[in-house]
This record gives sequence, C-alpha cells and structure tokens, in this order.
Amino acid sequence: MILPFLAVIAGFYIYPIANVLWLSVVEPEPGLGNYAALFDTESLRRIILTTIRICVVTTFFSVLFGYTIAYAMVHMDQRKQNLMLALVLVSFWISILVRTFSWLMLLGHNGLLNNGLQAIGVINEPIAFVRNELGVLIGMIHYMIPYAVLPLLVNMRNLDMRVMRASQNLGATGTQTFLRVYLPMTIPGIVASTILVFILSLGFYVTPAILGGGKVLMIAEYISVQILITLKWGTAAMLATLMLFGVLGMLYVMSRFMKLSAVFGGGR
Amino acid sequence: MDKQFLKESVQQGAVAFKAGKMDRRAFLTLCAMAGVAVSAVARGDAHAAANQIILWNWGGSSEVCHGQYIAEPFTESTGIGVGFDTSGPLQGKIKAMVDSGSVTADVCDADAFDAIALGDSGHLEPIDYSVVDKAKVLDGFAWEYGVSIIFYGYAFMYDTEAYGDNPPNSWADFFNTAEFPGKRSLYKWANGSLEGALLADGVSKDALYPLDLDRAIAKVKTIKEDSLYWGSGSEAHSMIVNGEVSMGMVWQNRGKAIEDDTDGRYKLVMNEALAMPGAYIVPRGNPAGRDAVMKFIQTAQDPKAQLGLLDCLGMTPTNPTAFGMIPEGQKAYAITSAMNIDKVVYNDPVWWGANSEKAVNAFLEAIS
Amino acid sequence: MTLPDTGDLSIKNVTKTFGSTTAVDHVNLEVQRGEFLTLLGPSGSGKTTLLMMIAGFEDASSGDIALDGASILNVPAEKRNFGMVFQGYALFPHMTVRRNISYPLDVRKRPKSEIESRVEEMLALVQLEGFGDRLPKQLSGGQQQRVALARALCFAPPVLLLDEPLGALDKKLRIEVQAQLKAIHDRVGTTFLYVTHDQEEALSMSDRIVIMRDGKIEQVGTPNELYEKPRTVFAADFLGKSNFLERSEATYALRPEKIDVAPSGDLQCAVSVTGKIQTISYFGAVQKLMVMLDDGKCLEVDVDIWRNRNAFSVGQVVDLGWTDDAVTKLEG
Repeated sequence: MILPFLAVIAGFYIYPIANVLWLSVVEPEPGLGNYAALFDTESLRRIILTTIRICVVTTFFSVLFGYTIAYAMVHMDQRKQNLMLALVLVSFWISILVRTFSWLMLLGHNGLLNNGLQAIGVINEPIAFVRNELGVLIGMIHYMIPYAVLPLLVNMRNLDMRVMRASQNLGATGTQTFLRVYLPMTIPGIVASTILVFILSLGFYVTPAILGGGKVLMIAEYISVQILITLKWGTAAMLATLMLFGVLGMLYVMSRFMKLSAVFGGGR
Repeated sequence: MDKQFLKESVQQGAVAFKAGKMDRRAFLTLCAMAGVAVSAVARGDAHAAANQIILWNWGGSSEVCHGQYIAEPFTESTGIGVGFDTSGPLQGKIKAMVDSGSVTADVCDADAFDAIALGDSGHLEPIDYSVVDKAKVLDGFAWEYGVSIIFYGYAFMYDTEAYGDNPPNSWADFFNTAEFPGKRSLYKWANGSLEGALLADGVSKDALYPLDLDRAIAKVKTIKEDSLYWGSGSEAHSMIVNGEVSMGMVWQNRGKAIEDDTDGRYKLVMNEALAMPGAYIVPRGNPAGRDAVMKFIQTAQDPKAQLGLLDCLGMTPTNPTAFGMIPEGQKAYAITSAMNIDKVVYNDPVWWGANSEKAVNAFLEAIS
Repeated sequence: MTLPDTGDLSIKNVTKTFGSTTAVDHVNLEVQRGEFLTLLGPSGSGKTTLLMMIAGFEDASSGDIALDGASILNVPAEKRNFGMVFQGYALFPHMTVRRNISYPLDVRKRPKSEIESRVEEMLALVQLEGFGDRLPKQLSGGQQQRVALARALCFAPPVLLLDEPLGALDKKLRIEVQAQLKAIHDRVGTTFLYVTHDQEEALSMSDRIVIMRDGKIEQVGTPNELYEKPRTVFAADFLGKSNFLERSEATYALRPEKIDVAPSGDLQCAVSVTGKIQTISYFGAVQKLMVMLDDGKCLEVDVDIWRNRNAFSVGQVVDLGWTDDAVTKLEG
C-alpha cells in the first residue's frame, strides 16, 4: 500500500522541485549565472529584503493578535468559543480578493474611515492607510490571523489548567503565572503559528500587489512576473529555489531547538 | 477505471476511515490514487473533443462577447463548435503549454508583442494568409505569426474638478505635477507607461522607437512619489472611481464606463493615446488543426464581428472597412475612429517582443 | 514533634451551590494545627469542592472559612499561602525539578541563597537528592509525586491541601508512598488536609477522618473510632466491609473478621447460627466465606487461612458466632 503512495509523492513533489532546481542552473545558459545575479543585482536584493521585512512584521503581529484571540477563546464558555471558532473558520471562506478590496473601501482615500474622520473634523486630508507598505501589512496581517489562531488554539486547549492553578496556589500573581508558566507552555503553539504564517506570507502576492499600490514588490509576485511576462524562467527558478531552501533552513534551525513533531502536534 | 467508481470508493474509504476500519495511510493512498486518475481522465476528455476550436481569452465578459460575435457566426458557417479557456494567455503560459507538448488551446487573444516574441522562439503556427486576409487589417498589423483583430490603448483620465479651466491634454501634462498637482496611476508592467514618459519628456511620436529605456525610467521616477501602479483593468478603474488619483492611466475601453461611474467628473483624454495592437496567435501544434483555426481568425476579421466587439468590449476594429462604421456614441473612445485615428501613437510590437523582459524588470525596479 | 504555631482551620456552616445542585451543604469542621485530616467520600460527596473553597479556587456560597481565627474568604488564592498537591501533580513541565520546587520562593522574590538552601533541604526531605536538574517527564510517577509535595511544602505553608495525590500510582507504590507521606507529615508538623475516596489510604495515614456524603459530613473520628463504631450504614459500608443485621427494629453492623466460624457443632458462643458455605474467595492471608443462613440471608466471614487450613469447603454446613461487643448499633 505504501509503494503507490511513494510514487505519487515522487511524481507530484519531487519531480517538479527537481525540475525547478534544474531550471535554475540551465536557463538561459548552464552555470550559476542566476545565482550570481543575486550579488550584482541591487534590485533583486531589495526585493528579497522587502519580502523578508514584510513577512517578519506580518508574522510578528499575526501571531501576537492570534495569541490574544486564542487566549480569549479558551477562556470563554463553550458556546461562545464555538461561535468564535466559527467566525475564524468562516474567514477562510472569504476570497482574498474580496478581503483586499474591502480594505480599500474601509481605509482608502475615499474610504469609510477617512471620510468619517474628515466628517468629524479630526483630519483635513485623507491619511494614506493603503496603497503603501502599511496597507500591505494591514491586509496580510488580517489574512494571516486565522492561520495564527488555529495552532495556538490547539496548543492552549491541550494545556493542563491545573498547572495554572498550581502556580496561583504557590503564590504567583496572574502576570507571574502567565509569564513563567502559560507563555512557556504555549511556545510549541507560538512556533507552529510563526512557521505557518511566515511560510504562507512568503508566497503572498495578491494583497501586496493591490494594497501596495504597485510599489511593494515581493518575491512571489516577482517570480510570477518572471515566469508569465518576461519569461526569465531561470531567475524565477533561482528565486523559488532560494525560498525553498530558506524555508527548509528555517525548519532546520527550529528543529535544533525543539522537536518539530511536537510543534505540529505529532506523536509525543 | 471510471470516475464515478473512484469517487464512490473514496467516499466508502472515508466512511471506513472515520469508523477506524481503515488506517490513515491507506486512506490517503486511496485519495491520492483517485485524484491522479480523475485528473488523468479529465485531461483525456479535453483531448477527445476534436471538432471544436478552443479560444483562450481573459474571461469576464469577453467569453460572452467572443461567443456572440465570432463563435456563433463561425459555428453557423463551418459547423465547428467553439470552447473557451478563460485563464488568460500570458506569454509564459503559452510557452509552458507548447513546451509540455500537451497543447489544449487553438487560438489566443494575445498581444502583438507575444506574436513577435513567441513566433521568434518557435512556439507559434504561422498565419495562413491565403485564408486570413491581409487587406482586412490596418497596414502593418499583420505579422508572420499573428494578426491583429482589435486595438486597445493606454490613455489617461483626469479629474475635471481638480483642474477646472485648464485641463491636461498630453502626457507632458500628465507628468507635470507642478502645474497639475495630484496623484497619478500608471500601468505596472511598463507597457504604455514608458511611451507616455518619453512623449512627456519631449520625444516626438515618430522617434519613439527604439525606446530610450534609461530616459523613460528617469522620467517615470520624477513622479514616483505621486504615483500608484495598477496591474488589472478593474484596479485602474477603482483607483479613479474611488478618487485615489487626480489623473489615471487606463485602458481606453474603460473610459466610457468610468465617465459614467463618476457622473462625468473624470474625463478621458485620447490625445497621444497609445494604441496597442492585440493579436490572434496559434500555439504550435494546436489540437483543432491549421485549417479550422485559420477560418476562425478569418471570421474575426469581419467588420460585423469587430463592431460587435467594440460594442460589447470596447475593443476597436483593425479592419479599415469597419472604421467608418463606428457608431456615434463610440467615436470619442475608439482608437480608429475618424476623430482619434490621427491623434494616437502606435505601439511597436517588434521592439516590445524583443525587449519586454528588460523593460518590465527595469520598470519594476524603478517603481518598487 | 512540637506543635506548630499556626494551622488551625475552621470551616463554619459552609455551603456551595452550583445552580440548583448543592455540592457542599452547611459543613462545620475544625481542623487542628499539625493534624493529618482526611476528607473521605465517594465522588460527588463534596470533598473536592470543599478543598477547592479552602484553596480559594471556588467561592463559598455562604458560611465562613478561617485560619487561626481570621476569615480568609476575601483572600485570593495566591495570597492564602496554602500549599497544594494536585491530582496528577500539575508540575511545570518546562522547568527542572529544582525550578519547580523553588517556584513558590521565586515568585515571592526571596534571596537567592535562601532559595538554594531551601530547595536542597526539600530535595532531601523527599529523598530526591541528585534529581534536581531533571525535567518532570524524566521521573517516575512516585518521584513526580514527591516533587509536587516538595514544591508545596517549600514555602512552609501553614496548611497543606492534598487532592487525591496518589490516584495515579499503582497499588504497591501507593502503599509505600503512604508511609513516606505520613513520615514527612510527622517531620514537618504542618496541617495536612487530605482528600481521597480510598478508605485504605484514609485509614493508614490519618489522625482523623471525615466521611462525607452528598455534601454533608456523615461522621468524624479517628480511624479506630470510625472503624469500630460507625454511626451509620453508609459509614460502616464505606470504611471497611460490614454485614448488617436487623434485630428488633434496629440495624447492627458486624465486621466479617469479628465472626467466629467452625464446623457444625463445634462452636460455643453467645450468639450462634448455622449456615451453609456458598462461596470461598482466596486472598492470601485470609479467605472470605459467603455463608447462607437458614433464613436465607448471607453473611460474609473473614477466616485466617493459616489457623484454619483445610477446615472449610463449599457446601459445608458451619456454625457462626460472635460476641455482644462485636456488633455496633447503627442510627436510623
């Protein structure tokens, strides 16, 4: 039973990945020219740095807000918790385009917020919330929060709450219990959320393209341009390879600190 | 194996899995096998349908418009059906399709520069001009590997309330944020934006090509702080309708809709509009064969078909016979109407076919 | 052992209701300093709820709880200074044994040197010297239990609350730990308030036992008092085994080991009946005979095996007898 499964894995994962690796060293000509371009093309480096910066900030805030939401959820009664979970899950069903354009309507030049603030006289000129990096971050963080919530929720639900009581009983204040016991015990959830959100963020391009007003260019969009419009498949493959190994490297570093199986809820 | 059978066995597997009778690995294997086989069967279906032309276009209303004005008369006269792939025939996708050897589209509603670039790289069938009529195309817009059926164009719109009695009327005005303050929007993938920048910088219409890329980029950067960039027609549309920009580049065929949506507050400027020849191109080894697809293209050359597309999509005819037949209400927006045909600047697909990679990446680098 | 200067706990008329159910019903109890007191009862008897109210995790619906005469109802759990050993131990899984034990001192920001010496003292008390740097998951169940105990005693609380602390251990280990727990209690002199549903645990360790039933106290007394003089059918049945005899409108308890048994005709006793052995169950030191009397009632009788080897078999007719002081008259 396992053999056909392996064949499927080979066909659907390993072959395309090998193909990408191969393309990155043979297109347009054999050699490491595509990789050398990383060192002498300032724009490539800038795109990579922009991507990392945006992903790091997105991940930080998504996990922060996700943690707050998950924490609130596990401390609600079961009925409210189910309602909240339904709300979180429903957001997976709303297309990313709809959400992105909703932000434009809310925060845009003539959006609800700017118009409202102007109407009550707080501001004279609309504030540029979107069509810039701030807009990209708002859109991405909003999209990523549910992804951050779920691993944390699983982690928090499985905590033995007697341990928190023990901490309280032993004389710890609420803050002390949170910082010394709750937070450390949710680290696996935090790590899982962080990895998940960061990896998903790396592949984002609809939101940055629209909310960034065309000025925030991330790797994923750049790769798609190189494949679809400029036909520089070698560059695209090189960047894809870079992302792949970046992610693998990240997982490796994480695995040095903790068991990944614990992070992703595998066997204990 | 047939699809229904697989579907059912997966469903049964799911029941067994839930009940704990089947282990997780076996269930996943079954799902994976079923998935592979179903997609294989689906692909086989697509191949099997031989007696039809697949038109690869950009979806939206174009499926309806192409269907009504080209596909219906074509099917009527030849008996060959027409199907649609609405995923958008980007150069990279066409190239990948031909390279993979499983070509599923017969004709692509593409750009002229795609005809040049992909023709040079050997990914296209040549146009058979014994069937397709060169006389039904404006001079210079029929190439070896593609023929222009419609023009569209890059023009800009401005906010009449912002500029009052002294409205902008050229790309020079568009790029002049001192005299015409306010935000601008430009097309993100360089096309049209570079030409506009050079015209604004004083390059004459006739001396535009080959484009002086450095000079164009430098000019684009002068208004970078005031610019937004759009990647799709709807985005360009909403940037203007939402009042995000005082002057916005658009695809000219959106002009009328935007004027209507803003109750005439924004007005289209057709002076120096950049006319883009679209091109029908045929991927090499198209499934329906050469004769059928050439007849299809021939149908699209008919003035009736082209005027239909103008009405339906705002795409401007390339058949000179149709120029005089453009209805009154469309004249102000059409590239090849008598009132605009001398004001527009024609894009050079040969330059773009050879240089788009350099141009797009240089532009992206400049704006990001 | 000298008596500590604190640790008197008064529970005055305490009631706890959850919605329409009453978990603890007007309970009055005086726990004396230094005492090992066990709350014994089946699940749902209110013993754990009472403990949680004392710990401060549940609010009393009415009544008062006082330590050394001062009410603690308004003192939050973290300020009550009661040590507690939880069911399942509730050790901090990410901290070493040492850090677990020092936790109550850490959060009280005691000086480092004091913390270190106190932790060593505690490790010695629970015989875990050398285990300080391990993580809880690297310890056996019994060792974890001792860490939980050390942690709860580390800050010298006036009262130690123990919530079924041995529930997760196997029987042999449980008996061993019972002895250790009792020894530690005698050494530290702290008031131990112990909750369990296991009567053997209660009998072997407690100075006094409180039998609880349906939120009320059924009977309080030393193990010996409760065993020898149960006041109710419930008390007699829950603590140890008992036969119940109906005699002139009253019920009497008769412990199985207090019945003498001999082959028919051999027995000389105050009260004596004959019956037929239905079943014999073997327990190593004793065997349990189920004897059906002539009136159809069954009595359970414990027989010392060694002294009666090969004396009895199923189907045999035997004489049963007991003295007057072997039976206890029960209430109600």
